[in-house]
Amino acid sequence: MAEITTLLQIFIWGLTAGCIYVLIAVGLNMIFGVMKVVNFAHGEIMMLGSFTSFWLYTYTGLNPYVILFISMILVGIFGIIIERYGFRKVLGTGKLNEIFLSLGLIYILQNAAVKLWTDDIRKIDSPFSSMTLDMGVLNIPYDRLIAIAFTALVLICLYLFLIKTDVGRALRATSQNHEAAMLMGVNVNHMYMLSFGIGAALAAAAGTVTGILSPFNPYMGTIPGIMAFIVIIIGGLGSIPGAIIAGLMLGLVQNFTIFYFGGAWKEAVAFVLLIIVLAIKPTGLFGGER
Amino acid sequence: MKGINGKILIVVLILAAIIAAGCAGSSEEVTVPGSIKIGLVAPLSGGASDVGKDMRQAAILAIEEINADGGVYVSEYGKKIPLELVDGDTQTSPTEGVTAVERLITNENVVVLVGGFSSGVTLANQVPAAGKVPYIITGASSSQVTRRTEVDTSYFFHYCSTTDDYSQPILQFFVDELKPLVAADRDLRLALIFRDDAYGKGVIDSSVVYIEENNLPIELVAQQKYPVSETDFHAYLTKIADAKPDAVYTVGFVKDTASIYIQGQRDVGLNTVYMAVECNEDPAFYELLGKWGDGQLLESKFAPYAPEYTELMGPYKEAYTAKWGVMPGMMGADTYDGIYLAALAIERAGTLDRTDVKDAIKQTNASEMLILMDGGNIVFDEYNEISPKIFIEQMFWNEETEELIPVIVLPENLKSQDFVLPENYEIGG
Repeated sequence: MAEITTLLQIFIWGLTAGCIYVLIAVGLNMIFGVMKVVNFAHGEIMMLGSFTSFWLYTYTGLNPYVILFISMILVGIFGIIIERYGFRKVLGTGKLNEIFLSLGLIYILQNAAVKLWTDDIRKIDSPFSSMTLDMGVLNIPYDRLIAIAFTALVLICLYLFLIKTDVGRALRATSQNHEAAMLMGVNVNHMYMLSFGIGAALAAAAGTVTGILSPFNPYMGTIPGIMAFIVIIIGGLGSIPGAIIAGLMLGLVQNFTIFYFGGAWKEAVAFVLLIIVLAIKPTGLFGGER
Repeated sequence: MKGINGKILIVVLILAAIIAAGCAGSSEEVTVPGSIKIGLVAPLSGGASDVGKDMRQAAILAIEEINADGGVYVSEYGKKIPLELVDGDTQTSPTEGVTAVERLITNENVVVLVGGFSSGVTLANQVPAAGKVPYIITGASSSQVTRRTEVDTSYFFHYCSTTDDYSQPILQFFVDELKPLVAADRDLRLALIFRDDAYGKGVIDSSVVYIEENNLPIELVAQQKYPVSETDFHAYLTKIADAKPDAVYTVGFVKDTASIYIQGQRDVGLNTVYMAVECNEDPAFYELLGKWGDGQLLESKFAPYAPEYTELMGPYKEAYTAKWGVMPGMMGADTYDGIYLAALAIERAGTLDRTDVKDAIKQTNASEMLILMDGGNIVFDEYNEISPKIFIEQMFWNEETEELIPVIVLPENLKSQDFVLPENYEIGG
């Protein structure tokens, strides 16, 4: 039996991994919830976030955690452009069009990143990279703590935005019923753009945090993109609380699985979890009745 | 009489026809190809594209050097013909690699294939070339690439270390150099962490066999394999730290190996000796590691950052950095040699016939180039494998220049200093 400190350490690693899943999956679910569009290129938008931050870091030398917010804004604007000139054009013309548009975006964004930044391995240096919080029984790297705190902050801000503001309410109304929202005077096209922008910004945040924690290249988005889909299916399509719970759960389950059963099970356990949840509740943990 | 005249007439006509045909033949120009196509099989996109880039840059450099002298003399045509590099992008994928090699063979009609990176990818993409096109494999370490039995391997030449080649010196290094310092009176506790692919498993299998067959005083206290797309090694390293190893032997590519070194020391507190295998001999590895590489180890057969140990290194480094603006990596050096080997073989064969070129490669007995050989000459053995000289480098962080610089600590005849324990080393991690 492993010592409690070792298990606590694994818990911290799992929590951090889970936070990154949460950031990607909440964004993906936001887009799906409002637009009912499945964006398979969400992992690549995350990758764009990593490279945008890397690029800003290289040219400005600013603290990467300051850059993170700039990167979120820039990639968020990019998300709005993709929605306006990509997904909006095919919205309602059939699911296949939306799916193939997003699949095409994967290749376009990967190749564009290779062209812009080459496919060399990159990293974003954090000023806290050598610092750890010594808690006696275990050490937690500052960058991991920041990742956890930042995710919590983003989720609180998102919650307040969605609950307390008129725009947030309009977004939720659009998510619940497009026609009714439109009849109540909500400009649903603006809500589509906004949801895509927020989704892309959250993906950029996940990409920057990932880029601070580990090296990356233009192909980094594929696996997190797949995991984000698993998370939103486990949590329930369109449910933001579902994405949060499922993201954290997946991060923790994967890390404890690595520790007890080995890395070969890391990806398999995600699908095992998915099958178990769907067998018990086919709409996901927080999914509504279909 | 009439019959005899008729026969003479027929004979004369036949002779005239033969002579005419002969004259016609001799007056016809032999078509000389405009170039000799060499197919580069490399991951130019996908997860290992950084390595593929180094391979391609080195191949271009070699071809430009050869072409600067007019190309390769082919006696069949009585003249020198320039080389032409044709890219075959494996996209770091076994299936895409097969497509790339098929295209090089069928559409591009290449004379020789050079390259191949990642054992899993190469074991797949060598199949279309089996028994047809000579393939100088410069970047796949599984010995299966020339020893597999289900395909004709006579056209495959393994111009890089095999998993056996580098497992042995690495393990021997642990026993001879590390054990006396940290585990003099007991077995050395070794942890293994490796990619879950043919390459990772190949290295680990050969290491385990070598330990058992030679009854080495090594206890394998942890074995962790990770998916090839892994970036977060904390849980693996925590598990390893739990086993209290004296050293960690990593088998991965640049991005994963550098992450293991950094996350292990910085985040998990596993302050031990880390050893990586030679495909990490790449500028990106040193850059990613930074100060976390201080005192750590790398097995290699090409060390551009270390004090120069072969006279070819200087000109190569100079030419490579002048052309590409970056330092060369080891996979590129293998490929550079591979292109020269192909050129030498074509010249010796005197023809572009693939079978003759294959035979010429097999008979290679040339002076070592960038990759040093045991015995000094490049010779392919019964398995079409070479005997490269392997060395162990220890890296040191220079605070003033903020550079990670390696020195060779093994073998004896190449080393610049003895191995010392890393400053942060703790017994049992």
